[in-house]
Amino acid sequence: MTVIFFSSVPSQNYFGKKMWIISFKALTGAISSYETLPVLALDLFNKEVIYICPFNGPIKGRVYITNYRLYLRSLETDSALILDVPLGVISRIEKMGGATSRGENSYGLDITCKDLRNLRFALKQEGHSRRDMFEILTRYAFPLAHSLGLPNHHWRITFINKCYKLCDTYPALLVVPYRASDEDLRKVATFRSRNRIPVLSWIHPENKTVIVRCSQPLVGMGGKRNKEDERYLDVIRETNRQVNKLTIYDARPNVNAVANKATGGGYESDDVYHNAELFFLDIHNIHVMRESLKKVKDIVYPNVEESHWLSSLESTHWLEHIKLVLTGAIQVADRVSSGKSSVVVHCSDGWDRTAQLTSLAMLMLDSFYRSIEGFEILVQKEWISFGHKFASRIGHGDKNHADADRSPIFLQFIDCVWQMSKQFPTAFEFNERFLITILDHLYSCRFGTFLYNCESAREKQKVTERTVSLWSLINSNKDKFKNPFYTKEINRVLYPVASMRHLELWVNYYIRWNPRIKQQQPNPVEQRYMELLALRDEYIKRLDELQFANSAKLSDPSASPSSPSQMMPHVQTHF
Amino acid sequence: MEFAELIRTGQAQAELLRGPEEPPLRGTLCITGHHLLLSPGPQATPDLWLLLLRNVDSIEKRIAGDSGTITLRCKDLRVLQLDIEGVEATLDIARSIEALSSLESVITSFPFFYRPKGLRLGDAWHFHPPECYYKRVARETNAWRLSEANEDFSLCPSYPRAVIVPRAVEDSALARSARFRQGGRFPVLSYYHAPSGTVLLRAGQPLTGPQKRRCSEDEELLRVVLAGARPGARGFIVDTRSPQAAKQARMTGGGTEAKAAYPGWKRLHRPLERGRPLQESFVHLVEACGDLEQSMDRWLNRLESCRWLSHVKETLSTACLAAQSMEQEGACVLVHGADGTDSTLLITSLAQLILDPLSRTMAGFQELIEREWIQAGHPFQLRCAHSAFSHARPKHEAPTFLLFLDCVWQLGRQFPLSLEFGEGMLLALFDHAYASPFGTFLCNNEKERCLCEVRTRTHSLWSGLSQPKEQRKLRNPLYVPNPLAIWPSAEPQSLRLWQGLFLRGTRLPEPSEVAWEKVWQIVTDQEKTEGSQPTDSASEPRP
Repeated sequence: MTVIFFSSVPSQNYFGKKMWIISFKALTGAISSYETLPVLALDLFNKEVIYICPFNGPIKGRVYITNYRLYLRSLETDSALILDVPLGVISRIEKMGGATSRGENSYGLDITCKDLRNLRFALKQEGHSRRDMFEILTRYAFPLAHSLGLPNHHWRITFINKCYKLCDTYPALLVVPYRASDEDLRKVATFRSRNRIPVLSWIHPENKTVIVRCSQPLVGMGGKRNKEDERYLDVIRETNRQVNKLTIYDARPNVNAVANKATGGGYESDDVYHNAELFFLDIHNIHVMRESLKKVKDIVYPNVEESHWLSSLESTHWLEHIKLVLTGAIQVADRVSSGKSSVVVHCSDGWDRTAQLTSLAMLMLDSFYRSIEGFEILVQKEWISFGHKFASRIGHGDKNHADADRSPIFLQFIDCVWQMSKQFPTAFEFNERFLITILDHLYSCRFGTFLYNCESAREKQKVTERTVSLWSLINSNKDKFKNPFYTKEINRVLYPVASMRHLELWVNYYIRWNPRIKQQQPNPVEQRYMELLALRDEYIKRLDELQFANSAKLSDPSASPSSPSQMMPHVQTHF
Repeated sequence: MEFAELIRTGQAQAELLRGPEEPPLRGTLCITGHHLLLSPGPQATPDLWLLLLRNVDSIEKRIAGDSGTITLRCKDLRVLQLDIEGVEATLDIARSIEALSSLESVITSFPFFYRPKGLRLGDAWHFHPPECYYKRVARETNAWRLSEANEDFSLCPSYPRAVIVPRAVEDSALARSARFRQGGRFPVLSYYHAPSGTVLLRAGQPLTGPQKRRCSEDEELLRVVLAGARPGARGFIVDTRSPQAAKQARMTGGGTEAKAAYPGWKRLHRPLERGRPLQESFVHLVEACGDLEQSMDRWLNRLESCRWLSHVKETLSTACLAAQSMEQEGACVLVHGADGTDSTLLITSLAQLILDPLSRTMAGFQELIEREWIQAGHPFQLRCAHSAFSHARPKHEAPTFLLFLDCVWQLGRQFPLSLEFGEGMLLALFDHAYASPFGTFLCNNEKERCLCEVRTRTHSLWSGLSQPKEQRKLRNPLYVPNPLAIWPSAEPQSLRLWQGLFLRGTRLPEPSEVAWEKVWQIVTDQEKTEGSQPTDSASEPRP
C-alpha cells in the first residue's frame, strides 16, 4: 500500500516567491522519503567554507544552499569533490565550538544525516555566517517546526527521545528550552507522570509567549520536590520577560488534583514554585465524560426524548462539560495573547484534557490551524504524536466494551470545534462534513491515522508503511470539505462565547440516525455550497487575471512575468 | 402641536449606553413629539441618535446625587440606559417619555407625520388588494368568486372589503352565515392549493350556543366547498382549541360544528396557547434571556419552563397537519379557534409557507403577511400595544405575530435555501409590528384603517423595505427556488431558541450579519466580474 502523507503544499517563502514545500509527518522527527516534485530552486546561501572531510582532511569549498538541497563544490585544484545533500536527509544540525574556540577549524556546524554520514563544516567566526547557515538549514530542513519560527534562541529541538527512551508516549522530536540540557530533561522526566516532561506546543509569533504541555508532577502524599523540575519551569518562565509569573493551568477540579497525591501525583504548589500561579479548570475526568455521553445516547436513541427534551438534555451535563472545556481553552488563549504570560497546561497524564486544551487554544490563537491542512496538522501533532491513547479510548478491535479506559475525549474536542465553527461561520476553512468524516473514521479503522496509543507503537507496527492516512483521503477530495464562507484572516484571535445560552447540541451528529429529525435533504444544501465555492474560485481567478493583465500593462514587457505572489493573494503564507 | 404640553423639558446633557458591546454616546438629549434624540455633535458618528418613543415599553428612573439614570426597555427587546445631568431634567425627561410613549390615538402617531425622501405616499398600498390574489385563484379554478358583500364592513368589521367565496353561494347566504359566526367571520378562502385542487378556509367559531343552533346557509357553504373540490373530497375542520374548551364556549354563545350538520367534514382539535398565557410565556422567556446572573446548569430547565419553544412546536405541527391534509390526503381544510383572528391565522399562513413556493419569495411573503395577517384582521394595535417589558397588566396583548415569525425562522433554519428572505426580514417585521414609522401595522382591521385613512396618509412598510439599501439585510443570498412543499421537523430536538432576536443584548463575537455580508460578497462579486473580460496579455502562461 502506498503511503501518502499530506500532499505537497504550495506556499510562499519569506521572499515572496513561490516554492514547493514537501510536507512532513507532523513533529515526529522520522521524516520519510520525499516525493519527487517540481522544484523551483531558490538560492538561499552561498559562502566559502571548509569541509572537514573525515578521509582527506579539510577541503576548502563553496557551499550553496537552496530550498531543497545543500551543495558543495571544492575550490581546491587537486580535488573534484562535490557534495549533494537533499535537505530532507538532514536529521540534526548542531553548532560546534564557541566564540572563544581557538583551534583550527573548531568553529562550525556538525550535520547528522539520516543516510549514515556526518558532515562537518568550519566557518569563520566573524560575519554571522554560521548563524545564517544554521538558521537557513533548520528552517528548510524542518519546515514544520518553522511554522512556529523554531528553533530560536530560547527554544531548541531535541532528539533525546529519538528511540522513545525518555518518554515512550511522546514523539521523537521535542521542543524544549534552549537553556535546559538533555541531562536536565532526564531528571525532570523522573518527576513527571509517565515521564511526560513540559515541552513546547505553541509559541506566539509576536510576543513569543508559549503554551507548554506536560503531565502532573509526582508530588505524592509526602510533598516530594524536584530541584530540576522547579528550575526547568523557571527556565521556561524566563524565556518570556514580559511578565514575571508563569501560569500553570491544571485542567482538573481542585479536589481531584489533591486526591491524585494519594497515588503519587499532585500539582505545583506555590510555596515550592514561587514564580508560578496555578489555576484549576474544573474539567472532569474520562469516566465522567463517558457516563455523560451515555446519557446523551439514552435520550436520543432509539427514541428521542419528547416531553422534557431540554431538561433531559441538561441532566446529561454534556453541554456543561463542553462549556468547561471551552472556557478552559479560552483562558489559556487569553493568558497567552492578552496576558502575555507563558502557560503550562497539564492534567494527570497530559494526554486527554491537556490535548483538548492546548489544541483548542491553538485553534483560537492561530488561524493556520483553522485551515484544512492546519487542522490536520493540529490533530496529528497535539493528539496523535503526543500520545492521546486512541486505541484505549476508542477500544479499537477490543471486545471489552465496559473497559474503563474508554472515553469520548476526542469526540468532545471535535464537538468544541463544531461549537466554535457555529459561532464563527467564516473563520474555518472546513465544514461540518469534515468534522463528521474525521469522527466516522475515528472508529472505522480504515486508515492508520487513529490506530495505536502513541508514536512509538505506531513506529513499531510500521503504521505509515502499512496503512493509508485519513488525511490523504480528505486532501484528495478537499472541495467536499470546504466551508464556502471561509475568509482567511491571519491575525485574528477567536474567543467563542462559552455560555450555555450559546452552546447547542450537535444534532446533525448525535441524532443523525433518527429519521424523524429531518431537515432539507443535505444534498441540495451541499450542492448549493459547492456552487458557491466554484463561484468564489472563479471570482478569484478572474481577479488574478485582471491583476495580471494590469501589471503586465504597467511593467516593462521584456521583464519577467509579474511575481507570482501578486497573482496569488489567497495562497497561504504560513511557513 | 398638541404634544407641546406633554414635553416638559427643552434639553439636557446625557450619556447613552446601548449595550455591553457598543461604546457609550455623549451628547445633548432632547425630546420631540415622537422621538428621543441624542446629538453628540456634528463630528461624531453617528451624528444623531434617534429613538421612536412608541418603541419604549417600560421606563425606570433612578436619582443619585445631582444626576439621574433612566433605563428604557424597548418593545424590540433592546435595553438602553441614559445617564442624565440634573435631577429636574431627569424627572422631566422621564415624565415626558412616559406620557408620549403611551399615546393611544392612531392619527397623531408618527406614521402620519413621517415623510421620507424618495418615497411617495400611497405607492405600495396597492400591491396587495384582495383582487390580486383572486386573479391567481381564478387562473386555476372557476369554483370561486370575489364577493364585495362586505363593501361597507357591515357583514364583518374585521374582514376586508372583498373576500373570496364559493361561486355557488350568494351574498345573501354569506350574510346569514356571517350572523352565525363569531365576529361575522364566515368561512372564506385563504389559499387554493392547485397541485391537489384543495382549499384552505378560515372562519370564526360557529355561534351554536347552549341550544346547539344551526345555520343552513353556513352548512350549505361548506357542502358546496367539498362539492367544488375533486369528487369524493373530504374536509377537516382544525379547531385550535381543546374539545373541552370548544364545548365550554357554547355557554357563552360560541361552540363548534356538529358532526351531523356538516357531512363530509371531520373535526380535529389541536389546542394552541393564546392570549395571556402566551404573553406570559414571552415575558418569561425575555426575562430568562436577559438574566445574566442565571447559573449555567439551570439554563435549559429555565428555557423549557418558559414553554415558548413548546408553543413553537405545537404551532408548527398543527400547520403541518393542515398542510398535510391538503397535499397528501387531498382534503379541504377549515381552520378556526374562537375569534379566528389569532391562532387561526398562524396556522393558515404557516400552512401556505409549507405548501406554496410563491409565498417563500420576498414579494410572496409580503403578500402573505398583508393578506393573511393585516387584511385578515389580526388586531395588531391591541396585541402589540406592549412587548415583554411592560409592567402594565396585559389586557389584549399577545405575541401571536412574533410566534409566527419565530416559526418562519425555524423553517428558514431547517431549509436554509428555500426562503428568499432571511433573518433580517423577520427581525424587521418584529420591530415594525411593535413600533414603526410606517402605517402598515397600524389599527386592528381594515375598517379602522379606512376610517383613519391609513392607506392614503401614511407610508407603507413594503415601500420602505424595497429601498435598495435595505435589500442586503433582508434577502437570503443562498436562495434557490424550491418547487416542493417543505416539511419542517417539529421535534423539540429540531427547534432552536431564536438567538438573533431573544439574545439581541448578548451578541456573539461574529454576529450572523457578518457571515451574511460575506456570502453576499461572494455572490455579487461574481456578478460584477461577469462581463469584464480579461485583456489579451492574460493569455501569457501562468506559472
